[in-house]
Amino acid sequence: MVDLLHSTIWRHRAIFVALALALFFLRLLPLGAEPGRWPGPDLMLCLILAWVQRRPDYLPAPLIALVVLTEDFLMLRPPGLWTAIVVLATEFLRGRAALTRELSFAMEWLLIAILMTVMLLAYRLVFAIAFLPQPGFGFAMVQVLGSILSYPVVVALSRIVLGVHKPAMGEVDARGRRL
Amino acid sequence: MARDRTSPEDFARPIRRILVGGLVLVLLALFVLWRIDSPRVERFRAALIDRLVPNFDWALLPVTKAVGMIGSFQSYASLYDQNQRLREELQQMKAWKEAALQLEQQNARLLDLNQVRIDPKLTHVTGVVLADSGSPFRQSVLLNVGARDGIRDGWAAMDGIGLVGRIAGLGQRSARVILLTDANSRIPVMVQPSGQKALLSGDNLPAPPLEFVEDADLVRPGDQVVTSGDGGVLPAGLLVGQVVMGPDRRLRVRLAADYGRLEFLRVLRSHDLEPIADPGGLVAPPLPDPGLIGPLPLAPAGLAGSGASDG
Repeated sequence: MVDLLHSTIWRHRAIFVALALALFFLRLLPLGAEPGRWPGPDLMLCLILAWVQRRPDYLPAPLIALVVLTEDFLMLRPPGLWTAIVVLATEFLRGRAALTRELSFAMEWLLIAILMTVMLLAYRLVFAIAFLPQPGFGFAMVQVLGSILSYPVVVALSRIVLGVHKPAMGEVDARGRRL
Repeated sequence: MARDRTSPEDFARPIRRILVGGLVLVLLALFVLWRIDSPRVERFRAALIDRLVPNFDWALLPVTKAVGMIGSFQSYASLYDQNQRLREELQQMKAWKEAALQLEQQNARLLDLNQVRIDPKLTHVTGVVLADSGSPFRQSVLLNVGARDGIRDGWAAMDGIGLVGRIAGLGQRSARVILLTDANSRIPVMVQPSGQKALLSGDNLPAPPLEFVEDADLVRPGDQVVTSGDGGVLPAGLLVGQVVMGPDRRLRVRLAADYGRLEFLRVLRSHDLEPIADPGGLVAPPLPDPGLIGPLPLAPAGLAGSGASDG
């Protein structure tokens, strides 16, 4: 049977939760985000998509849903909507992991860019259907562009600092089991 | 099975698909619930933040103090120049202190003369800003006073100078203030010299626009804007800011409160703002004449006879 206390997986899940809490903490600091300033990139989304692309078993769908739902409540977004969109996007990526394994980084970056844009469009579409007020499209697009530009940085940091990489052919983990 | 699950066919099993589909449906149902019955979900959100965020303040304060110190170090070129500047300021402050003491005595005498009492309905609770939502999309701050300090939804919050926002969302130990620049904020205001009523609606820009001004020619940049107290929404007479003409040729208000330095906010207690629903019976609808309703009185016999002969 699968050893549920497999330490690498749970260690990385704990690291993910810790990173999520750190990002919430940074967002909540009263450093005065004045209105009219450009929004920063959505680092939580970059982190989730980068990890799901490389090691999908580190982020099960309920964990992603829980973390993003907490972020929805803390960041005053309509709860549940962005969470559903993120879960659907990660399921899309997981299903296509076989096809995207051989992609070069530039192609993967392009795929992620298109995926983030589609997520934003779906989010805004549901807002329009539900007659909710929303900020201008250009304003929100700046955040998506920032996320796309910071995606390689997040991937590099995950690879170098946290060791999250795609499992190579025949790679074995610390106990000799194949990944 | 000793394999760790990374390959895609492990994620396409039907049961897993059903479960994930169920999860997505639950999340969308939560969104629909929020859209339909927003106060219930917002109360849950306020309770969640109430449990999570005030526990952070031991960590938030040192970071903000450190950032403040870095900012003040960066703003001075060298310690010597800073010292000289501080000495000059100290001299000026001493002179101002003398002037202030004299004014204070004069003020006390005049107040005694007038027997002025500040409106007791406008006592205040002071709160410290704990956190803000930190995004340019939602303009709100979190205070460290909540329902157990007697705060209620809808009360106005001011800093030392002008109106900052309204309380929207309460926990036991924390309260959320929606700032005037947020897109969901609408405040009835009055432009001061001309007495025009208008609506101040935020749109995520630093200077929110004035809408529904009755006569825009009577409003000029530089006029003072105060709350009008319409509809019992906010107390009247609170300073909001000054009218400016925006680059898009719309009348906007430059807020008197310093949004970049929100530290202590006063929440004004306003218990019984009664909205004026009717004009006080001054202009009453005309009562129906009781003579017109009911059977008409019989005409005298002579008139009826002459009328019949003519007709």
